[in-house]
Amino acid sequence: MATILCATRGGEASYPNQDLAIALAKERNADLLFIYVTDVQFLNRLASPVLVDMEAEMDRLGEFLLLMAKERAEKAGVKAETIVRRGVFRAALEEAAKAHEVSLIVLGSPAGETSITGQEYLENLAEDVWAYTGIETLLVHGGEIIAHHP
Amino acid sequence: MKRIPSRWTHVQRVRYALAFLCLCLALGLGAMQITPVAGQSGRFSITGQVSDRQNQPVRKAEVRAHIAGLAEPLAVAESQEDGSWVLLLQAVPTEYLTVTIERRHFEVQTINLGVEELSLLEENATYSLGELTMERRISAGFWAATIIFLAVLLVIAFEKLHSTTAALAGLSAVFVVTFVGGAFLPDLYIFDFERALTYINWEVIFLVMGMMVIIAIIEGTGIFQWTAFQAYRLSRGRAWFLVLIMMAVTAVASALLDNFTTMLLMTPISLQIGLAMGINPLALIIPEVLASNVGGISTLIGTPTNILIGAYAGIGFTDFLVNQTAGVVLALVLAAGYVLFHYRHEWRKSGEGISLALYKRLEENARIERPEMLWKSGLVFVLVLVAFVVGERFHVVPAVTALVGATVLLIWVEPDVHQMIKAVDWTTLVFFMALFIVVGAVQEVGLISLLAGAMGRLIGENLALGVLVIVFGVGTLSTTIANIPIAASMLPVVQFLTGSIPGASSQVLYYALSMGAAMGGNGLLIGGEANLVTAGITERAGSPISFMEFLKVGLPVTYLTLAAGFLWLLLRFVVFN
Repeated sequence: MATILCATRGGEASYPNQDLAIALAKERNADLLFIYVTDVQFLNRLASPVLVDMEAEMDRLGEFLLLMAKERAEKAGVKAETIVRRGVFRAALEEAAKAHEVSLIVLGSPAGETSITGQEYLENLAEDVWAYTGIETLLVHGGEIIAHHP
Repeated sequence: MKRIPSRWTHVQRVRYALAFLCLCLALGLGAMQITPVAGQSGRFSITGQVSDRQNQPVRKAEVRAHIAGLAEPLAVAESQEDGSWVLLLQAVPTEYLTVTIERRHFEVQTINLGVEELSLLEENATYSLGELTMERRISAGFWAATIIFLAVLLVIAFEKLHSTTAALAGLSAVFVVTFVGGAFLPDLYIFDFERALTYINWEVIFLVMGMMVIIAIIEGTGIFQWTAFQAYRLSRGRAWFLVLIMMAVTAVASALLDNFTTMLLMTPISLQIGLAMGINPLALIIPEVLASNVGGISTLIGTPTNILIGAYAGIGFTDFLVNQTAGVVLALVLAAGYVLFHYRHEWRKSGEGISLALYKRLEENARIERPEMLWKSGLVFVLVLVAFVVGERFHVVPAVTALVGATVLLIWVEPDVHQMIKAVDWTTLVFFMALFIVVGAVQEVGLISLLAGAMGRLIGENLALGVLVIVFGVGTLSTTIANIPIAASMLPVVQFLTGSIPGASSQVLYYALSMGAAMGGNGLLIGGEANLVTAGITERAGSPISFMEFLKVGLPVTYLTLAAGFLWLLLRFVVFN
């Protein structure tokens, strides 16, 4: 059975994107694999002491957010699994795509306006992921497809 | 291959920990020692004391006694920590004697002693010139240090560099100007390395370090997440009630640990609870940030600025608790009222109810992970708090209490010492040290004295006005500029005002600084590191906090809480003093 890999951060803004991935999974009779990539780079610019194992905290948060996404999918009758990875988003995504032999990658455009999540960055990322993996890649925002590779 | 028994490893760990702490203590105590001035001998002495316009002693001023026609001075002395100096002469000149006092960044002061004064010196073997005031001189070094200081503040405010890198860059610039620039243009000289080190407050460094070890052990137990989950259960799905409990929990946790760590721990679990309840999680999290910035004010260890203020002004744990808590509670009540009003639409949202799987996951993510470590670290932490209070009676500085508490925990709980050494965030300690030197540079060249003088003229002898200016002035500055550099820069100013305004000896202006610096951090998203780290976590969970969204809640709460703090300090120290 085909697998669709959906990268999501959770949160209300990502629900339409998750719903689109769920609809695509139904349409293509595929399973869904939600991925959350833990990234604690934002701590690097702060001077206050980071005495907490933030990667572990963010892993737990990611697992919870993906569990919510999984419940949405299962409620819609789509089988879904979740994975949480650490490190650089693109590398983690490509590694997961290859390891799980996915047929489609759905990149949810996150809410917020940081340099990492800017529109141009995401469009380039989607193109690079497609070029590297050869897997059909969609960039979605607000439940609509905004870039499709190839 | 023979395996080393594991018991040995524990012993070695403890030894390493003890050796490390002893080394740190020795370094700190060594640095705190005052270098004695080389002694001289003589039958006659001329004495005096030098201070600046703000009545602060001028240390290390060179005092010389000359007579006309002689190239070499008759006697040379150096002013001490309290500004006092003694010139020792073998014989008294017959006609006149000139005493010159020189110090970088001050005008040279010349005092001529005539026949009358010299005969008194000969008669009594000693003559006092009394208290002398040295005038500041605006040197090229003044402008260089001021530009460097402002540049560091701006780079930190706009996050162009990591705060530690920015402070280190400022420190390096100060020394480059001093040693390279000063070689070509002597007026650029700011201060030397030995002098720069005297501006580092080692008590702050060791207190922060000791608390880091204690917090690192406690946070690993999962107590915060467990408490947040219990608050969720207690609220029975009533979001308005939950936010009140969470604000109270965050405020208390911030007072006992620090607001930054508290938000690191509370934000992920609060996000989960908010999303599970079907409300905007920011309606829980933003009030928690506001409460964390305010709650920390009530104890010595609650905010980095309180640690700075406590070490600088000798204000102890009990002093903060007794003199600030009522103001903090009043501020929190006002903040909670505003938050309940602002998010009133969220409280009406009724979620569909949480699924069993989500509830189980929430419960699992909020479990106590190491019960044994929790009770041990909890007990030691309570004892450390008690020792903070009791220690004040025996003049035990909080840094020593924190270091001893950390050592006891390392021995008793036996965590991985390497992990604990890593848990000590050296970037923060280096930030503090570099910042102290950069602030020391502007203090050395006289910028802080100028500011203090200007504020002194503005405030006059009106204590209530002084409290008002500091609470709201520092509070407003802290909405945009990191409050640690502001507090560090303001300390000498507040010290001057405390000495010059009648009634300020109660240290009320230091408490005003504490309240202004911490509460001001709530004004804007960039106002405090707890705000920024919270925004970082929520963004990575798909619920970003926008600048405007934070401002709409944060700014009104800031001025409400500043008003509450001001009112309390006014009642406590001015009206009923």
